[in-house]
Amino acid sequence: MKFSVNWLREFVDLPKAPEEIADLFNRAGVETKNIEARGAKIDKVIVSQITSSSRHPNADRLTVCEVYDGSETKRQIVCGATNYKVGDKVPLALPGAKLPNGTEIRKSKLRGIESEGMLCSPIELGLGEDASGLLILSPDAKIGASISDLVPVDTILDVEITPNRGDLLSHFGLSREIAALSGKKLKSMPPEAKIEIKKSGVTIAATRECPFFSGRKIGKLKVGPSPQWLRAKIESVGIRSINNIVDISNFVMLELGQPTHAFDADKLKGSINVRLAREGEKFLALDGKTYSLKPDNLVVADQERAVGIAGIMGGEETGVTDSTKNILLESAYFLPASVRSTARELSLPSDASYRFERGLDPEMVLRASQRATELIHELAGGTQAKEIGAAGKLPANPADVSLSYEKCDRIVGISIKPKTIDEILEGFGLTKSKGTSKSGTWKIPSYRRDLQRDVDLIEEVVRAYGADKIPGTDRSRVMPSSAADRSHDIESTLRERLVARGLSEVRTSKLISRNASAFSENAIGLRNPLTEEHVALRPRLLSGLIGVLEGNVRAGAERVALFELGRVFVPPDAREERRAGFLVWGKSVSDPHWRASDQRRLDFFDLKGVVESIFPEELSFQRIAHPNLSIAAEIYAKKRVIGIAGQLSTLALKIDAPGGVFVAELSLDLPIQGLGSRATFREFGKFPAITRDIAMVVPEDLVHEKIWEVIFHPMEPLLERVEFFDLFSGAEVGEGKKSLAYRLTYRAKNRTLTNEEVSVAHAKIRERLKRELRVTLRE
Amino acid sequence: MIHPLEQLRDNALREVGDAGDEKSLEAVRVKYLGKNGSISAWGEQMKTLAKEEKPVVGKLLNEVRAAVTAAVESRSAQFRAQKESEALTKIDISLPGVSGYSGYAGYTGFSTPLTGYSGYASLERGSLHPLTQMLERSIEIFRRMGFALADGPDIEDEWHCFDALNTPPEHPARNEQDTFYLPDGRLLRTHTSTVQIRAMQAAPPPIRVIAPGAAYRRDELDATHSPQFHQIEGLYVDENVSVADLKGALEFFFRELLGSDTAVQFRPHFFPFTEPSLEVYVKSKALKGGERWIEVAGSGVVHPAVFEQVNKARGDKAYDPEKWSGYAFGLGMDRLAMILFDIPDIRLFAQNDLRFLRQFA
Repeated sequence: MKFSVNWLREFVDLPKAPEEIADLFNRAGVETKNIEARGAKIDKVIVSQITSSSRHPNADRLTVCEVYDGSETKRQIVCGATNYKVGDKVPLALPGAKLPNGTEIRKSKLRGIESEGMLCSPIELGLGEDASGLLILSPDAKIGASISDLVPVDTILDVEITPNRGDLLSHFGLSREIAALSGKKLKSMPPEAKIEIKKSGVTIAATRECPFFSGRKIGKLKVGPSPQWLRAKIESVGIRSINNIVDISNFVMLELGQPTHAFDADKLKGSINVRLAREGEKFLALDGKTYSLKPDNLVVADQERAVGIAGIMGGEETGVTDSTKNILLESAYFLPASVRSTARELSLPSDASYRFERGLDPEMVLRASQRATELIHELAGGTQAKEIGAAGKLPANPADVSLSYEKCDRIVGISIKPKTIDEILEGFGLTKSKGTSKSGTWKIPSYRRDLQRDVDLIEEVVRAYGADKIPGTDRSRVMPSSAADRSHDIESTLRERLVARGLSEVRTSKLISRNASAFSENAIGLRNPLTEEHVALRPRLLSGLIGVLEGNVRAGAERVALFELGRVFVPPDAREERRAGFLVWGKSVSDPHWRASDQRRLDFFDLKGVVESIFPEELSFQRIAHPNLSIAAEIYAKKRVIGIAGQLSTLALKIDAPGGVFVAELSLDLPIQGLGSRATFREFGKFPAITRDIAMVVPEDLVHEKIWEVIFHPMEPLLERVEFFDLFSGAEVGEGKKSLAYRLTYRAKNRTLTNEEVSVAHAKIRERLKRELRVTLRE
Repeated sequence: MIHPLEQLRDNALREVGDAGDEKSLEAVRVKYLGKNGSISAWGEQMKTLAKEEKPVVGKLLNEVRAAVTAAVESRSAQFRAQKESEALTKIDISLPGVSGYSGYAGYTGFSTPLTGYSGYASLERGSLHPLTQMLERSIEIFRRMGFALADGPDIEDEWHCFDALNTPPEHPARNEQDTFYLPDGRLLRTHTSTVQIRAMQAAPPPIRVIAPGAAYRRDELDATHSPQFHQIEGLYVDENVSVADLKGALEFFFRELLGSDTAVQFRPHFFPFTEPSLEVYVKSKALKGGERWIEVAGSGVVHPAVFEQVNKARGDKAYDPEKWSGYAFGLGMDRLAMILFDIPDIRLFAQNDLRFLRQFA
């Protein structure tokens, strides 16, 4: 929200430098987002009046204006704006003027027509962000006067008010807070409403949603443009000037925080009734749109129809126009929750609803009405009714709050003198009704409904005392490690292993686009997505990894080896599960290197090795069929399926990735629990080993697993280890056959082996292979 | 009545489905969509139609042609995939993986785990994602301060995300507009503060935990906003936990993370679930862009109303606000990683370009 420093200064003394003011706000918990200097002196920009306007002969979008600048001759100006009418007063930049944005104005020809200067929009003069058209000045602006005289030098602060502090949403309210924090006195107070309240002319049917409503009749007024000071004030904080009545209403809201609304009294049919809307009731609002209302929406109605959505926006039909003579000025207290839910339901937030839903000061309702009435009388010549028509009851003052000094010290962590605490709370407008040396009971002012219990008062003490004056303390406690600690540690270990193997960790979005890629099928969609890219929750990690591969291949990568550890949301109920995903593609080395002659491509067995390397127990890969995989396997740990692995089908890829893309995805929830568990020492032999190779030609469909089993069953006691080291096929082996080679290592625990012993053991294995698998052994 | 074109379509679709191989599929395609195919022939026939019939039949013809073309294409893709798979069936997937297990003696079938790996060194060095590095560094510091880890789901209910955190439905800070909802009414947590509630439901005080995790907000993706972001939540509940303790803890953390000359400032703020609430700013030479105050965390003393909600859910008085007090904080990890590693755009994290990732190897 924007605040004018000049305006604040009417209520309280402020430091000179805007940065110091911002610092003061920071201490109060009010964050300053932007500081903007206004009305810096601009030479050669003056008030002028448009006396005629015609189409530019050579350009559809331009007009040629004649303007009067107070001198003898009129000036011809080419203009691109359309928001003016002949007779309007507008800023004219004369040749030689230098605008705040750096533009220098010169006499020039635009599409063949001479232009002797430029008519300016607010943004061109550094007066806000409006670039939509010319800055239309007040009709009483003096022609020929410098624009700097019209726009006073001011600083505009854009600050963020937290939602609990509705009382700061006005210049008076913020000044009151600054006064409390800086120990200054407020210079003036809003007027008391010393007026007779008449219980007539208004009825409230919905007393819960509308505790209090008042309407004051003001007659015989003249609607017209606002005087310059009023326009300048509301425009300085970003509110457009409409006419004197509407401007006064906005001015009072900006000054005191209480929104008011003026109805054209002659268009109201009968007395006011505040009630809930009827189902489907149509309402044409001041923004020109028709809203369909529901029975939980509160409306201000006359005897025939709704004339305002309470606390949000008035109606078009009863709005103030140039011909309005008599008005009814509304000032009311609406239930914050009701205004909030209606504004959200209708997607119709307004400056008024923003304030109402944050809770207003009940005591300001009639004061604001009085302030607006006085201004209307002064600026529009109205004569106000002696009394104000009202119904309902203003909410009672907040309940008293007790605070123990000891608890305050306990929560803050240091000892603060009771006298200091009392002074701070009194500074914020609280009054002590009862007190002992240990605690006090405090009366809360009507505008501080956020102060409900002792901790709220303690926060005020911290704010005023200064958080920076509380020294930080060293305080520790040890906690036993939790299940979350253990799984975090396991995952850290996995990451280290995978990085050591040359894989790069990725973190992809858990929100994906619908059918982003293969493996995003059946993803749970969001009910209210915002953009196309984020509409569903990833059901697997693989869709994200495939996306990363595609991006990197497009960027020219030659080797992509990735892993991700993270949550997925398993359909149909979006059960959350932790997974590990892997993807390998491309050359086995990223870049050519003088020591890396190996240009082998990564394949299924690289992927398999990666997966095997992170699990403590042996995994088995079993073929299955999968629509997105041209090699597909289920991964078993013991007898449980823990994931899938395979080669991506080319149909599952949007890019050309030669050599095949290999992927795997595994659940991390169970099988890794044993990871990091202690391995136990196994003795390695002290005596020399003897190795023997077995090479064999076998049918193409005989798998390694089978051969492995035969080699090991039954276990030869001298056999220490076996390695598979060669595989080839081709003409020399024969059609439908392949050649395999294994190296067997024999060793005894307690002696040096003899060749004879090994030959006996080795022969047994060779025999078994021949007998059980009918392989042809090669010598 | 069925239009002859529709009849033609149904026949074509059936024959596409029946085609057993690419050759017979091609025959079906030629029969219907070829130059002299029966669907193509309708193009000629159109010319003979009455003027008012033309647009209707024309539209139908386009639809039929598109449907049959699509069916042929998808069937053909199926064949291609099949062929691809068939070519790969010869691969024996039981062969050992590269640097996977090696066959050590002691092997007795699948029931006994093996612990050795064969050697085949990778020439590459991998990399940890910068966000992971940031999280790990932070977690390590908090662990030295005696915090244990806690965890909670990304998908939450409204009670854990709002009500339990003293943000009832009419509260102006409860902004459903910024919250992603699932069709079943659950939501994606908008902050990791939900884990505070879960941790307190699970165990009585004292409690001292941190919870790293993702949170979601209905924001457009741009250089500084992402609909998914990462936080570390912290909660400490004990006897006499104070603002001073909170300050001490976060000052220690940020000095460990950013260097001992880091200045830490606490500014009053508002969060519904803490009172007092403080926003945390740091200023450090370690951060690029000179010495300026940067907002890095929200924090505060746990609001007694939060304890009361937790007690209600627990069905006991374990978190008696008169006996226990606590502090809580939430750190924005994406932002911290961005300022610490001088990363200009939050989108780089989720893009995972290897040229980006390997800078942090």
